[in-house]
Amino acid sequence: MPPIVSIVDVVKEYRLGKVVVPALQGVSLEVHPGEFISVAGPSGSGKTTLLNLIGCVDTATRGQVSVGGNDTGKLSERQLTSLRLDTIGFIFQSFNLVSVLTVYQNVELPLLLARRLDSAERRGRVNGLLEQVGIASHERHRPSELSGGQRQRVAVARALVTEPKLVLADEPTANLDSATGQNIIDLMKEMNRRKGTTFIFSTHDPKVMEHANAVIRLSDGRIAGRDLPRGPAEARA
Amino acid sequence: MLLLIAARSLWQHKLRSSLLGAAIASVTALLLVLTGISVAMRETILRAATTLMTGHVNVGGFFKVTAGQSAPVVTSYGKVMELAKREVPELDYAVVRGRGWAKLISDTGSMMVGVGGVDIDEEPGFREAVMVPEGRLDELRRPGTILIFREQAKKLGVKVGDTLTVSAPTFRGVNNTVDVTVVAIAADLGLLSSFNTFMPSDTLRALYQLKEDSTGVIQLYLRDREAVPKVESRLREVLARGGFQVMGADPRPFWEKFESVNREAWTGQRLDVTNWEDETAFVKFSVTLVTALSVAVTVVLLIIICVGIMNVMWISIRERTREIGTLRAIGMQRRTVLAMFVGEGALLGLAGTGFGAALGLLAAAAIDAARIPVPLGVQFFLMTDHLTVSPTPFWVAFAVCFITGAITLVSLFPSFLAARMKPITAIHHVG
Repeated sequence: MPPIVSIVDVVKEYRLGKVVVPALQGVSLEVHPGEFISVAGPSGSGKTTLLNLIGCVDTATRGQVSVGGNDTGKLSERQLTSLRLDTIGFIFQSFNLVSVLTVYQNVELPLLLARRLDSAERRGRVNGLLEQVGIASHERHRPSELSGGQRQRVAVARALVTEPKLVLADEPTANLDSATGQNIIDLMKEMNRRKGTTFIFSTHDPKVMEHANAVIRLSDGRIAGRDLPRGPAEARA
Repeated sequence: MLLLIAARSLWQHKLRSSLLGAAIASVTALLLVLTGISVAMRETILRAATTLMTGHVNVGGFFKVTAGQSAPVVTSYGKVMELAKREVPELDYAVVRGRGWAKLISDTGSMMVGVGGVDIDEEPGFREAVMVPEGRLDELRRPGTILIFREQAKKLGVKVGDTLTVSAPTFRGVNNTVDVTVVAIAADLGLLSSFNTFMPSDTLRALYQLKEDSTGVIQLYLRDREAVPKVESRLREVLARGGFQVMGADPRPFWEKFESVNREAWTGQRLDVTNWEDETAFVKFSVTLVTALSVAVTVVLLIIICVGIMNVMWISIRERTREIGTLRAIGMQRRTVLAMFVGEGALLGLAGTGFGAALGLLAAAAIDAARIPVPLGVQFFLMTDHLTVSPTPFWVAFAVCFITGAITLVSLFPSFLAARMKPITAIHHVG
């Protein structure tokens, strides 16, 4: 099966005035459909940069990034936005929900942007997901009326509502207590198992890593290794 | 959904939105009231002028015995009247008026005025346009009488019952005078009344030593004012075909044409077809002035509002930069971000102008009801002794569309920059 993400010799440099700061230095990686992968490493190791490049919200200085078979370096801004909408779901560390919309409307938003489903189908899809993430009873609430864990559940639902092939989560549990964080990871794992969605999430929490099929370790912008985590047996199932 | 986000974002910052909305509403209301004053002026001019000075369409003209000596006279007007009645099915009614330009002399002063020769029984509209607080309009039936306006009476130092001498050059080139009794002093009608007086047609004929079949002008009143241009051009053709010499179109009142007519070499009778706007062209400047002032004031206020809107949009975009980044990341195209922010500006504009329009209409009604008196100097331009405001559906629609359009346009630039933001930069924005 062809990889959903293919990264070949990618370099990403940031320019801070006259200083060039390397964030990624010659990273190559393949991720296959259905994988549940953790990107680990200390702060500044390049985790977020890697996810941004895979998520097509940033561009590599050199090298090739392909997502769903598309070489992202060759796509226009408009095509990249369509690729994000159709292929990728995002879960952010700070939830990043639209504050003026209700839970239901936040989850429905990507479907409205995609314009693929009619109103009844949208309603069915959103309600189903809200049930699955256990937030259905809060559908009329605004994000400000929810706890951190509840907000991240909404973010998970929003990321999955378009049924993307790939979900990227940048430290999804960093702003949550460990129990709630565990719940979110369980939820992501369940979605991965049930729908076959590929998940790539960054973390530096060893307990969270235990749930991954594989852990990609980054250090100083380079891949230091790709391991199988030592954790619950079902993670590798 | 975009409108929902826009509306709720405005709602989320109620105080800011309310202040800006109130400013927009005030400008809209002000524009409506000011344009309402212009419209009221135009209506007053039309109503008063088409009674006092002009018909919707006029057939007047000049008679010249010698090349350099003209009189505002239509000889044998019966034939012209017959032709007009036959060829103008749009005609409601027609009246004949004597026209003159004469000197009024009292014991204490004198002034040059236009003199209209009227048959008061033939012109019921005259009573509606001219208010006579001193004397009686019916007295104008008697030969040797005159109606003047209050300001003229003050300048001449006369009251009802006093005698005035009217002096004018006849078209034979000699001066003639008649003595007339002031039987009515009418309320001023601003500029329109400053140089108009009225006397019975026969008295005017006597002053100018004219025959019975001569008059100054035939004033035609149409059922529909919109038909004026059509009727005017038809009359020119018909009169020319009927053997009359017709002057070329010249949009000036008859009394401004003496000089140019006297310079021309022809003699005899020439007819001049004019419309009400030509004959009142000299008062148009005041309407134009008020309209220009209204537009200038509105534009200045609008610029201030637009700067405010732009600032608010900047603040809003700055506050929502991370939200923009998120929306772009989850697949919102640039043009959709643009539409969302422009929609926010348009929504604020529409709400503000809608409220402002209602406010403006209420203010106009209140001003009308209060009958606020205006100073004499202002009366001269407003053509009325109290403030009148007539907002029209056109101006309501114009105010709402124009101001909303301007606000939407102004919000386009910050919205465009918001849409151009890179998702990665926006997501990681701090502030």
